[in-house]
Amino acid sequence: MSKLKKLVTFKHWQRSTKTAVILIVAALVLVFVLSAINVSEQDMLNNASPAIKQIIEEEKTSSRKSLTITYNNLGVMNYISFTTSGASAIKESYVGFAGAIYGADEGGWKFAGQMVNYTYRMLGTGENLLHGVKLTLLLTTLSMGIGAIMSVFLALGKISENKLISKISSAYIFFFRGTPLLIQMFVIYFSVPGIFGFSWRSLFSAGDPEAVYKGAFIAALIAFSLNAAAYCAEIVRAAIQSIDKGQNEAAKALGMSYGQMMRTIIIPQSIRRMIPPLCNEFVMMIKDVSLVFAISLMDITTISKTIMTSEGNYLVFIPALLIYLVITAIFTLLFGKIEKRLSIYE
Amino acid sequence: MSDYQYILSTEHLYKSFGSLEVLKDVNLSVKKGEVICIIGPSGAGKSTYLRSLNQLEKITSGKIFIKDELFLHREHNRTIHRAEPEAQKAMLLEMGMVFQRFNLFPHKTVLENVMIAQVLVRKKTPEAAKKLAEEIIERVGLSDKLDVYPSKLSGGQQQRVAIARALAMEPEIMLFDEPTSALDPELVGEVLGVMKQLAKQGMTMLCVTHEMGFAREVADRVVFMADGMILEEGAPKDIFDHPTNEKAISFLRSVL
Repeated sequence: MSKLKKLVTFKHWQRSTKTAVILIVAALVLVFVLSAINVSEQDMLNNASPAIKQIIEEEKTSSRKSLTITYNNLGVMNYISFTTSGASAIKESYVGFAGAIYGADEGGWKFAGQMVNYTYRMLGTGENLLHGVKLTLLLTTLSMGIGAIMSVFLALGKISENKLISKISSAYIFFFRGTPLLIQMFVIYFSVPGIFGFSWRSLFSAGDPEAVYKGAFIAALIAFSLNAAAYCAEIVRAAIQSIDKGQNEAAKALGMSYGQMMRTIIIPQSIRRMIPPLCNEFVMMIKDVSLVFAISLMDITTISKTIMTSEGNYLVFIPALLIYLVITAIFTLLFGKIEKRLSIYE
Repeated sequence: MSDYQYILSTEHLYKSFGSLEVLKDVNLSVKKGEVICIIGPSGAGKSTYLRSLNQLEKITSGKIFIKDELFLHREHNRTIHRAEPEAQKAMLLEMGMVFQRFNLFPHKTVLENVMIAQVLVRKKTPEAAKKLAEEIIERVGLSDKLDVYPSKLSGGQQQRVAIARALAMEPEIMLFDEPTSALDPELVGEVLGVMKQLAKQGMTMLCVTHEMGFAREVADRVVFMADGMILEEGAPKDIFDHPTNEKAISFLRSVL
């Protein structure tokens, strides 16, 4: 109870934590204020030119649509664009920021509007769960989680005195580290269903419009988990073997079984040593997820490349890089905290 | 009185690492309550002997007896069988071990270090384990350090916790493997103090040590080992004052 009290009492925190918390709170307040005073979608629609408004009115009753309206809301800033197709195409766009609306057809506001639009698309906002940042986060955390659990067994298998178990574990690690992740994913996505006569999408109901994506996601999750397990296994093995042999002997002399020793003495001590390389592996995985482009899933990298190809805007990579940096920063911070928390006894 | 002659004895113990013979025909018998100090030059096989007693090293050949029964075995219908795992563990737990480098569990507090094996191995309730642990920690004089992690303790204090941890398993024999060799000179006394107190309480002890003063004062018998063999054994007075073996003479001359 006193621990909890200490945790929530501001003056007990370390200076860096205080600074970080103050900055984050300040940023949240700023975001909240900016979002609160920002213009609504209706305001943006009302701001359109008379020509556009006329088309909107006309198309309300007709079945023919020539006007495309794109609305992207990032909270602090939103963006709307109207595009008509046909001979006399009209294109106009606006950015809403801090309670005012600005024309975004040229200059700085055009740039800002594009950034909002691209960021919105890469975040996967408004799209299904398996899109953009959501896909990246979901695939990375799930496959690292599954991989980490598998890796403990692989590592224990590899250092096992049982020759057969050791050989099997070693072979697994050798195979998954020795072949490209992309091909492993291809094998699971294309070859496995081919051999066993099923399709990944058929795992989901035929009526589900996202069945294709969900199926591809499951295949990717399996491939990434199997691959992560191999890499993590070496991290876990190295950490376990770095624990002083004396710990082993002390546990044996006290009559502990192998399982008791591993569970209560060796693995708890080795976890702290696993954190830095596991963080490394995690951060690599965030970027490796871009390989899913090959099985029709859209992550941050794939979306930015698609935008680049279809719209020819080379500035699209700026928000992509920033998004990656933010994700990596958050996880690095998190792993650092965990490492510190586990170091109390040293 | 006990229904056995020797609490611990070894017959023709051999141990080799590859082609290197570390123990060559080591025979020793220990009575209950005896304190035996094993001395000798480094590389003599003293630590290996101690470690092979509680299975940290597998012996190449020879026999170990605990209370006159073959270690890890049991007699049934006049034939000797390998004992069941539980029985083997019980025999192993007749011996407690204290290491040169303490080998405390760094992620556990002093109390947890002394409790953990009681709960896991002796299957005691945490309450019972805690009660005994506190009692033993008090005996080694560290009652004020119960919730401290080992890294915050001095070497001498760590070694006393290690002794407490071994005692908590209630062994009948304590094996000390150079318990003071890793300590700063001013910390040696507190550990030897605890060991003397144990000897006085009648604990059977085997100590590999370089503390000749301790051996002379506390030991019932001193064993001199060199080259993997016991070359001389006897009362401390005889060994220290009138050694007969050539090697013992030169070793004692260099350390005394």
